[in-house]
Amino acid sequence: MTYVGQGLVNTLLITLIAAVLGLVLGFIVAVVKIAAEHNKWMKIPAAICNVYTTIFRGTPVALQLFIMVFAIFAIPGFKPYAAILTFGINSGAYVSESIRAGILSVDKGQMEAGRALGFSWLQTMVKIILPQAVKNIIPAIGNELIALLKETSIIGWVGSTPGSLTFDLNAAADVIFKNMANYLASGIIVGCCYLVIVYIMVFIFKYIERRLRASDRR
Amino acid sequence: MIDVNNIYKKFGNLQVLKGVTCKIEKGEKVVIIGPSGSGKSTLLRCMNLLETPTYGEVWMEGRLLTPIDPYLHFDVIRKSKTYNAMMLAAKNADPAAAEEALDASVIAEIKAKDLLKKREGKEFAGAIKTLYKENFQDINQARMKMGMVFQHFNLFPHLTVLQNMTIAPIKLKKVPPEEAKEKAMELLKRVGLEDKATVYPATLSGGQKQRIAIVRALAMEPDVMLFDEPTSALDPEMVGEVLSVMVDLAKEGMTMIVVTHEMGFAREVATKVLFMDDGIIKEENEPKEFFAHPKDERLKEFLSKVL
Ligand SMILES: Nc1ncnc2c1ncn2[C@@H]1O[C@H](COP(=O)(O)OP(=O)(O)OP(=O)(O)O)[C@@H](O)[C@H]1O
Ligand SMILES: [Mg+2]
Repeated sequence: MTYVGQGLVNTLLITLIAAVLGLVLGFIVAVVKIAAEHNKWMKIPAAICNVYTTIFRGTPVALQLFIMVFAIFAIPGFKPYAAILTFGINSGAYVSESIRAGILSVDKGQMEAGRALGFSWLQTMVKIILPQAVKNIIPAIGNELIALLKETSIIGWVGSTPGSLTFDLNAAADVIFKNMANYLASGIIVGCCYLVIVYIMVFIFKYIERRLRASDRR
Repeated sequence: MIDVNNIYKKFGNLQVLKGVTCKIEKGEKVVIIGPSGSGKSTLLRCMNLLETPTYGEVWMEGRLLTPIDPYLHFDVIRKSKTYNAMMLAAKNADPAAAEEALDASVIAEIKAKDLLKKREGKEFAGAIKTLYKENFQDINQARMKMGMVFQHFNLFPHLTVLQNMTIAPIKLKKVPPEEAKEKAMELLKRVGLEDKATVYPATLSGGQKQRIAIVRALAMEPDVMLFDEPTSALDPEMVGEVLSVMVDLAKEGMTMIVVTHEMGFAREVATKVLFMDDGIIKEENEPKEFFAHPKDERLKEFLSKVL
């Protein structure tokens, strides 16, 4: 059981770090892409961002993990971090599209009204557009985080032993199996862990959504 | 106050403005009318640079809002490679001709045929840069002095009425929040909506939204107000309440530029009426004469339809 506990903590840790990375990256990429529509200085950064999202959404995450861990960051001891980095960067590509869609769903008149009052593009974005976009973005981000959580279960492929950061829930299932010699039982135990985490995440996001909508109707 | 100098605006292949020049003096109330698609909104939006004109310049109180249009500055044209090459050719062709005559004809030709290229040499680029540096005004600063009211209100739905009105003064003009609030309440009282201060825009009627949109712009204490069909999206019974706010504003001496189909408002309030058609100003006059004796054929046709 200590294996499950260890795996649980690591899975949560990996997901959390990757999620934060993904959110920050996704946010920046989304804003750069949208800024490029009116600002010629953003054209080249936006092109880079497009290459990034195309590659990371267009190839399997397992392949990305493989390349990052064994080719790009083949540094001893860096494996777990390279893996988390991969999940974060991969997630960022998806998150950026959700955020972009959320921003674009805000009525064009809002930007015009903000600009007409004298706000700069960035000020309008931050004070007027993003607060409205959040409502549309949150559900998509929730889905993305759940997908990310489950995606991290392949981290064991890069090699994991109890005690290392890559020893996540899924890896724990392997060890438990070896002890109990029962695939089904170990699978059910770990599966339940995933289920519970996902359920908690869904609950939290539902709550946030409700809060956001409440401020809408007042 | 606002000087619109020969502006052109193209959207893709669609030439919407085809050389519009107009001057708006302090205190004037200019009403712009014209058929749908004639470029009225585009003209208004070029004034505060929500659209950037393809050619031409917009000036506000002696400061330039748009990029420099070299075609409007002959001494800049004279620094271009194209001009110098053409002058040289013209002189060789006719050595006896007077310098001024050649200069005038070359400049006329360059303007007529749009001959200036992207790169016209260092001197040309330098002249444009200097002229721009001397005259330009940061657009965000300029917009703080130009209120704009949109057809579809564009209130910020995530903010209360009061927050809608105070966000810009507080953030941009650094007015202390308490003071901004007081000022906003005063404005709300003026339009009879002080009881709506704490509600969100979604709960308001169209007429109320537009009145809030007007006072939101006024909260920045602008020197001029731009209105783009402020009553077109309203149910008929709400048009009056918005127009009366605008009439009051006019009486207080606000400089106003109004795109509207409300001919009554134009007659009553305007100091000048412009008729736009097909991207140019076809006729321009004080309202009495404008409506009583229209000269342009298209205007006669237009008035016969709307009056
Ligand atoms: N951002 C844009 N992109 C492409 N075309 C545009 C854009 N804005 C306006 N146009 C086109 O320019 C033309 C003139 O538009 P504009 O809105 O200035 O007309 P208008 O005189 O205000 O008409 P209306 O009375 O219908 O408001 C129209 O054909 C319109 O489709
Ligand atoms: Mg219009």
